[in-house]
Amino acid sequence: MSTSVEAVRDAPARSTQPKQPLSDRAKAERRLGFWLAGPAFIIMLAVTAYPILLALWESLFKYRLTAPSDREFIGLGNYATILSDTLFWRDLGVTVLITVITVVVELILGFALALIMNSALKAVRGWLRTAILVPYGIITVVSAFAWFYAFDINSGYVNNWFSWVPGVDADLNWFADTWTALSVIMASEIWKTTPFISLLLLAGLAQVPGELTEAAEVDGASWWQRMSKVIIPNMKAAIMVAVLFRALDAFRIFDNVYIMTNGAYGTEVLSLLAYRTSITRLEIGMGSAVSVLLFICVIIICFIAIKLFKVDLSGARGGN
Amino acid sequence: MPKDARYWGHTRKGARAAAGVALALGATLLSGCGTDEGAAPTLTWYINPDAGGQAELAKQCSDASGGAYTIETSLLPNDAAAQREQLARRLAAGDKSMDIMSLDPPNVPEYAEPGYLAPVPDDVAERTTEGVLEGALAGAKWKDKVVAVPFWANTQILWYRKSVASAAGLDMTQPVTWDQIIEAASSQDKYIGVQGARAESMTVWVNALVASAGGKIVENPDAAADEIKLGLDTDAGKQAAEVVSTIGKEGLGGPGLPTQTENTSMIQFQGDQGSFMVNYPFVWPATNASVEEGALPASLIDDIGWALYPAMNEGEETAPPLGGINLGVGSNSQHPDLAYQAIECIVSPENQAQYFETNGNPPSNEAAYDSPGLEETFPMAPTIRDSLELAVPRPQTPYYNEISTGIQQTWTPPSDVNPDTTPAESQEFILEVLRGEKLL
Amino acid sequence: MKSSPAKRRTIWTIISVLVVLYALFPVASILATSFKLPSDLTSGTFLPTKWSFSNYEQILVGDAQGLFLSSLRNSIGICLISTFIAVILATLCAYAIARLDFPGKKLVLTTALGVSIFPVISIVTPLFNLWRNIGLYDTWPGLIIPYLSLTLPISIWTLAAFFRQIPWELEQAAQVDGATTWQAFRKAIVPLAAPGVFTTAIIAFFIAWNDFVYGISLTSTEAARPVPAALAFFTGASQFEEPTGAISAAAIIVTIPVVVLVLAFQRQIVSGLTQGAVKG
Repeated sequence: MSTSVEAVRDAPARSTQPKQPLSDRAKAERRLGFWLAGPAFIIMLAVTAYPILLALWESLFKYRLTAPSDREFIGLGNYATILSDTLFWRDLGVTVLITVITVVVELILGFALALIMNSALKAVRGWLRTAILVPYGIITVVSAFAWFYAFDINSGYVNNWFSWVPGVDADLNWFADTWTALSVIMASEIWKTTPFISLLLLAGLAQVPGELTEAAEVDGASWWQRMSKVIIPNMKAAIMVAVLFRALDAFRIFDNVYIMTNGAYGTEVLSLLAYRTSITRLEIGMGSAVSVLLFICVIIICFIAIKLFKVDLSGARGGN
Repeated sequence: MPKDARYWGHTRKGARAAAGVALALGATLLSGCGTDEGAAPTLTWYINPDAGGQAELAKQCSDASGGAYTIETSLLPNDAAAQREQLARRLAAGDKSMDIMSLDPPNVPEYAEPGYLAPVPDDVAERTTEGVLEGALAGAKWKDKVVAVPFWANTQILWYRKSVASAAGLDMTQPVTWDQIIEAASSQDKYIGVQGARAESMTVWVNALVASAGGKIVENPDAAADEIKLGLDTDAGKQAAEVVSTIGKEGLGGPGLPTQTENTSMIQFQGDQGSFMVNYPFVWPATNASVEEGALPASLIDDIGWALYPAMNEGEETAPPLGGINLGVGSNSQHPDLAYQAIECIVSPENQAQYFETNGNPPSNEAAYDSPGLEETFPMAPTIRDSLELAVPRPQTPYYNEISTGIQQTWTPPSDVNPDTTPAESQEFILEVLRGEKLL
Repeated sequence: MKSSPAKRRTIWTIISVLVVLYALFPVASILATSFKLPSDLTSGTFLPTKWSFSNYEQILVGDAQGLFLSSLRNSIGICLISTFIAVILATLCAYAIARLDFPGKKLVLTTALGVSIFPVISIVTPLFNLWRNIGLYDTWPGLIIPYLSLTLPISIWTLAAFFRQIPWELEQAAQVDGATTWQAFRKAIVPLAAPGVFTTAIIAFFIAWNDFVYGISLTSTEAARPVPAALAFFTGASQFEEPTGAISAAAIIVTIPVVVLVLAFQRQIVSGLTQGAVKG
């Protein structure tokens, strides 16, 4: 409990609580609150904060698992090596590229799906939702294999089907080139996660007051005008939350790349670099440093989103 | 931690199985087991995936031990890099269950150097290396000492389509060179089967090419990471790069070359575009199975021929790739003596021959090739044996993983290889990685 | 769109078919692959030229049976247990957040958010070393605990949203009748909250079921290896032949629970997801 109590003390004082002695009832409520929320809080911290601190410590060493006797403290040496290596920046670039493209495509596709679900006839609504939830529930690794086998030059049928498209023929090896390989990786990622974003947007659509859209329609506003002037501005919060969640998720992309190319031909992402360094190469020190840098990137994205774009994450907290 | 807690935790299921075996044995050998206190020790054998042959050998040797031990198998991942990673992590953590391990030869030094392998007793080393083919034995040594027991050995041979070779006028009874098969394939407008994917198979290819040209990828494999000297930026490296680059640039490897693995090159070879292919013996049972399934024409079998791996220069000897599995014992094993006893049983020439016939993995011991009936299943067995005699292992160094990954990253895709720059760049890159100055 | 009902119906049928195609095509693709014989894999067609159950035989009763069935058992067991624990803890936590007045609410929610965006890859190595030291490596608890880091945050957020919609007058009424806060929670609120808890459980289960990184890093034998990790262990007839068929068949089998849950509970899942993330 001590962790949570201490941490709570550091939390900003709540303006609604003027400083005055608490009643017994309030104290009891407070205690119950700690007891109920405490276990979940402590577990969440224990499985994340402790390991990341450990990683932070190990990142200061030159340490290879199969050469334990050579372990040596080198301070920030690993970070210097990583940050001066073009590979890190290239992987960061690929990760950012995947994040940006998938989020933009998913936002558009997800918005379309949300609109469809929102205005679908009662008869088909259930079916649409069911269909859309299948990609949401499917295992990412399974999705990766499905897309990989479909495009693979040996086992795939895509080259056969789309041979009429310029640039596609039986000899197109999708996974031998950065751009084609990344397209398939992103397609799998987009397919699997668009349902999530569309459901968030569906919830946002439900927030738009019906009177507003109706009024606009009565005023003769076109579909596009209603969309851009009424609906989208009114669901800005939902869009922002959806984008942030998905961006952070996309930034951690691992499964799809691991299965389809294992990072070959310029498709490597940061998570894979961290995995290969610490788990495949067993360079615990260097790998931990990559992990810490990845973590810092995630924090930076979060910070930018919250400070710059004012994403209100407390949306779910407000109470009634 | 109580001394044996973890050990017993790991083998509870094993103990139960062992008890079952003990009971069964008790029924047949009433007197023999009487003096034994409790169940026979269980040895865990970490095996690479196969068609069930290692599990079968585990059972046979357990039965043959008369209750001295029971071997239980535990499966490692399919991919060689993943196998290494699982074993290395367990060994580094001092796992006591590492009784017997199926090891990929290039990884042996990485385990041997920090003392993760229990020493091979001299008498065992002597008995188990007797008659072992030269190449296979080299893969089981570290700093001139036998540190693991050769089990089976793999090598690539040159597979060819007789029709294509004769159309191109290539005499396959004589040793052929890379230049010859490149010319033959390109004159017939066919694809050459090589493994160009960014994977371990690329290192296998490069190593064989460099060695065939008389070079060595690593000059001083025993050295520490920052003192290693590489032999890529040499004439041999350049010759190797010329072969890779020609096949890549001229499209001789087919469109799938940059992702071509052993399996996909075999599929290409079986098709209309097939001509020559360097590959492992699994090609033979796999092709026969496809023909039986009716997926491939029966005439294909008669069109397939085999020869030694191509040489680099006419009149010089070839240096085919070496693969296979050695058996090692973890230094924290509770029963190293029994483990080595079990290993001696597993690697007996009869068992190696049986494993070859049932699972297609060639023996490391010469004697196994004399096994009757072997040539019926594998008519190319003599070629395989000859190839194993000449085979050159990949660099035997604890930093093999870095070197191999470095080669994979700089020598793929084959069409981007430039004989004038790639060897030097790849050498520089690997050295920087080894010095810890660069990420891999 | 002021079109006739018949035209509307046609348009909606077309749209629905497109959406269903989008959602199910990759599943259909791997389903078709799972019925192909090894020799058929390179035919370049979508459907098998000859339908065969041999891949399913291989993983259910054949060579790969031990590998696949044990991993299936592990996956189901580990995911159910971690879902169960996550939902219990999250229920308590979300109740406190939605109803009780105590400092640190915001901290708990922020932590949950922080954990849910945490790059899993960053903590597997330290977790691996820690688990080795305390004997949790390659055990069920060794996966259940890290899975909580995946399932707890979303459970807390989803349930907090659910709980805000419960008519709390009931609780107050119960309190007026002399029940303690705890009794009020148990008697008046739990029955109302049950559907939300159930939905949260499904969502949490999906997330745990999807895990790959923990699965490949923190297990090494059939004692705890879950299905997504086991897919990397399949092998063809020899080590060099690719296990495409077996992987496809296994992929289809692990997709069945997802499809069943989705078919049965689509309405609840949709409302759970939409309420958890955005103010409902």
